[in-house]
Amino acid sequence: MNDVFSIERFLGVIPKLIPYIGISIKIVLYGLVVGSILGIIVAVLRIKRIPVINQILSVYISFMRGTSMLVQLMLIYYGLPVFLKSLFGIDINSWDKMLFVYMTFILNEGAFLGELFRAAIESVPVDQTEAGYSVGLTGPQTFIHIVLPQAVKTAIPGYGVDIIGMFHNTSIAFTLGVVDLVGRAKTLGTASGHELEAYAFVALIYIVISILLRLLFYVLDKKYSFGREGVKS
Amino acid sequence: MGFEYDNFLDSLHYAVYYLPITAKLAFAALVIGIIIGLIVAIIRYYRIPVLSQLLSVLITVYQGIPTMVALLLYNLLFSFLIGGVVEGLGLNVEVRDVSNIVVGYIALSLFAITSISETFRGAILSIDKIQFEAGYSIGLTKLQTLYRIIIPQIIPTAIPGLINNMVGIIKGTSLVSAIGIMEVMNASIIPCSRTYSFVEGYVAAALVYWAFTLVLETIAKGIEKKTKGFRKQLG
Repeated sequence: MNDVFSIERFLGVIPKLIPYIGISIKIVLYGLVVGSILGIIVAVLRIKRIPVINQILSVYISFMRGTSMLVQLMLIYYGLPVFLKSLFGIDINSWDKMLFVYMTFILNEGAFLGELFRAAIESVPVDQTEAGYSVGLTGPQTFIHIVLPQAVKTAIPGYGVDIIGMFHNTSIAFTLGVVDLVGRAKTLGTASGHELEAYAFVALIYIVISILLRLLFYVLDKKYSFGREGVKS
Repeated sequence: MGFEYDNFLDSLHYAVYYLPITAKLAFAALVIGIIIGLIVAIIRYYRIPVLSQLLSVLITVYQGIPTMVALLLYNLLFSFLIGGVVEGLGLNVEVRDVSNIVVGYIALSLFAITSISETFRGAILSIDKIQFEAGYSIGLTKLQTLYRIIIPQIIPTAIPGLINNMVGIIKGTSLVSAIGIMEVMNASIIPCSRTYSFVEGYVAAALVYWAFTLVLETIAKGIEKKTKGFRKQLG
């Protein structure tokens, strides 16, 4: 086993891999920020139940839930250029691969976070909205000051699980040839003929960051669990 | 470039032809996950010393590894170890003939065990302690209580979670394509390598996965409805 795994080589790959964590984090941030905005739009549109749009959105959500991220990534990477070219004559073949990765993550997160937000908003009792109206707040005011703060609290644990899942999914970006953690580990392995150390370190990075994220959301959930007992009538 | 309908049909044909392999991967992982996941959940519920702590650490750590990274890692270990295993067992096969689909089964099963055991643990925790005490009070042993009282009540509570786990496993099977196993994802692009246009192949693969997930979800929802009566709420 000695020539399969050596501590020196393991220590050697660490400085070469560390900088590439940034790429995964960048993907997660794009997915998170833009995906959350898309998610809020999806959630609000779904709650309003606008005819046609509601059906389109439920197909979109079902597709994003029913197929894996790898399929979606390939579909966007190979499909979008063909689609745009044949419909609008726009050539996007020269675009950076990372853009397709961001797009996939944003679209995927839009669906998942949309469902998460919808469930959270719907979990706030109607009395709360009525209470808002009764003190003279307008619709948007009631939503922003009364409903949203309560919905955010409900959504925190789901949000945490979602972010960790998204972070794990960044490991498939290498299939497009993007040089992220896994992609770099692969090239390092091919160059030296020893892949195991690089992969082991990648696994370790994912474990450490996942556990840290879990802890963070555990603390957040504890912190924002006030006022959940409900009012006794 | 454009969307060739004929190529799409070709790809769809290949994808459906290889669906049984994806289904086998998913079902094997699901069944192993349910059996071992239930055992793990029960061990952790009863807080059996050492074993329970060990399992909870292992599961927390393992949940931190993405399935893709796990697959690549196991595939590498497989290529190191397979020579020794073939030699050790005295098998009369060429090393390069041994399919690495075993790696797919192992990685997906481990993923299934970790996620399903958490679902079952949540379901057991939701059962009132009175149910256990009621079992003991009429003279049932620990195992009998589990088997006759607790597990039937776990099932309806766990099914929504299990459906999510199942969808996760089916999605996981597509990752297996990255280590070169021929399943829906890889099969659907076989016709594409002739034309170098991959859209048709991936559209076909997406449709097959989508349909497969929807059908299984519908079946699982049916089971959920049937098992609801196992857990009656007292007024």
